[in-house]
Amino acid sequence: MTTITPGTPGVNVGAPAAPSGTQDATDYSIAPEQVSLWQDAWRRFRRNKLALAGMGVFGLVVVTAIVSIFWTPYSLFQEGLGDITDPASWAHPLGIDGHTRDVLSFLMKGAQIVIEVGVLTAALTSLVGIAAGLAAGFFRGWVDSLISGITYIGYGIPNLLIAFLILFITNRPSIFNVIIALSVTSWMDMARLVRGQTLALREREFVEAARATGTKDFAIMARHVLPNALGPIIVQATFLIPQAILFEAFLSFLGFGLPSPDPSWGAMVADGLNDRFLAYHTMIVPSVALLVTLMAVNFIGDGLRDALDPRLKR
Amino acid sequence: MSRGTAIYGAKRFVLVLVTALIVSSVTFLLVHALAGNPFTCERNPAGCAHEALVHGLDDPLIVQYRTFMWNLLHGDLGTSYVNQGVTVTPLLIREAGNSLILGLCAILVTVIVGLIVGVTAAVKQNSWIDYSLTSFVVFGYSVPSFVLATFAIIITAILLPNWSNSIGWGSPEQLPIPAIALGLPYAAVVARLVRASMLDVIRQDYVRTAWAKGLSSRVVIIRHALRNALIPVITIGGPLVTGIITGSVVIETIFGVPGLGKEFVNSILNRDYGIVVGLYTFYAMLVGLANLGVDLLYPVLDPRIRYA
Repeated sequence: MTTITPGTPGVNVGAPAAPSGTQDATDYSIAPEQVSLWQDAWRRFRRNKLALAGMGVFGLVVVTAIVSIFWTPYSLFQEGLGDITDPASWAHPLGIDGHTRDVLSFLMKGAQIVIEVGVLTAALTSLVGIAAGLAAGFFRGWVDSLISGITYIGYGIPNLLIAFLILFITNRPSIFNVIIALSVTSWMDMARLVRGQTLALREREFVEAARATGTKDFAIMARHVLPNALGPIIVQATFLIPQAILFEAFLSFLGFGLPSPDPSWGAMVADGLNDRFLAYHTMIVPSVALLVTLMAVNFIGDGLRDALDPRLKR
Repeated sequence: MSRGTAIYGAKRFVLVLVTALIVSSVTFLLVHALAGNPFTCERNPAGCAHEALVHGLDDPLIVQYRTFMWNLLHGDLGTSYVNQGVTVTPLLIREAGNSLILGLCAILVTVIVGLIVGVTAAVKQNSWIDYSLTSFVVFGYSVPSFVLATFAIIITAILLPNWSNSIGWGSPEQLPIPAIALGLPYAAVVARLVRASMLDVIRQDYVRTAWAKGLSSRVVIIRHALRNALIPVITIGGPLVTGIITGSVVIETIFGVPGLGKEFVNSILNRDYGIVVGLYTFYAMLVGLANLGVDLLYPVLDPRIRYA
């Protein structure tokens, strides 16, 4: 949308997509307002109310996670605060759990794990996936065969099996092992995406020009190929976050997650399920927190995809 | 089945066997080389040494691997390390039966709910029905399976207090709730695909022709539109089967179904090496064969697809 080639039919038909208020002053069929890709994307993202709400919820979870590092209403080790059947009160807004501890404190501390696992896994996965995808797409040949071969076999085996095998071998549940287990299974989608983008971009004229001026391979990848593939990469990375959160909750629920005092929301649901004959809130509270967070990040991802996908440009 | 399909199927079958072989080898070697002795030697050193001797764990890794492979080629996956005298192959086959029943019911839920929701949303496009069904779909693929299962348990407990305990296995009453919990997330995925594909199809000329001929809406929608709209939906078959198998791990654990998924969790928690390795081999075969079956179904359902 930033440039118009004279004489291209149909280009100026759909051009005016400017914010309201500036419309009458400019003739867009001749000179569209110059906006960068990111400004344009942000404008479209802002229009998506669900995505904005998702940002709000996710922001709240991040703030909760940061606050919980320094302060929770009660210590996680403080027991004997009441009984699981006690109704909610000002002292314990979300009630008491089956171990006579404060549910709200655990929920807050759990947000920390959600953010750590979600963001770190997405970052690590993206890093590995981008590197592998760039190498496969750029060098082709045996590098491509090797990486594509690994992804092909990896797709034939359910993620769950690989993740459990890693946890089984390491035999020590820690946040680091969980993140490694998640990353090993989920870098392949990113690698496949980046490989496809790189294969297309490396044939473009600007890459040829860079090569003609003697630019090194690494610099071409980092400065010319990668920035042009960034849109889809960001979208994919956003969808990695809920995937990681879900998987961690899933592992913790089954009892393979973090060791006991670390309050994962998945483990809280499992605890609540055991206490279901006494009360439901210990099961509902973490479930709803998990569901709302996952939906929020999914909405952000949908919004980003609509905003960054050039094919959907209006 | 054409000759091309047969050759394609045979090639894929060999690939499934190779994948299963690789999976079992990697699992066996990693587990035996890295995970250490499964028997707790602190409490009972003598028994520990005896157990290790019985299971050949003192042999060099290559000897253990050779024995394992030789038995595997004869269909023998070895014995359990925790429960004395339990042979893995018959155990897994028995449990696979239970998983199969649950899985098929879940797929039934997925297909029926997915089709009804998808078609209704497409036919009533942009109405409140469409919007509420579409939000159900977003909910469906965001909600973790175990959260869905816990809600299902609460809702059953509140609405149907006389319903016999929904957790357990054996009576037909205990089947619908786990099947719904397992199938519903995938129903959302199917519904989304059906809706998109139906919206494509109902604008086509031949559907307009069908309306113009004065056919009843049921005949137009089901016989003319839906049959063609389903073709792109079939591609979800492979991932669906894999997803049901994976999902059954958590659903079977929650609802106490004695199937492969529950065994998977238990064997890892118990550090039962014999069953873990056997189960990985079994799963690799199962997923490969299920995907192959779905792929072979394509040309039957859509004559335009042909494997040359």
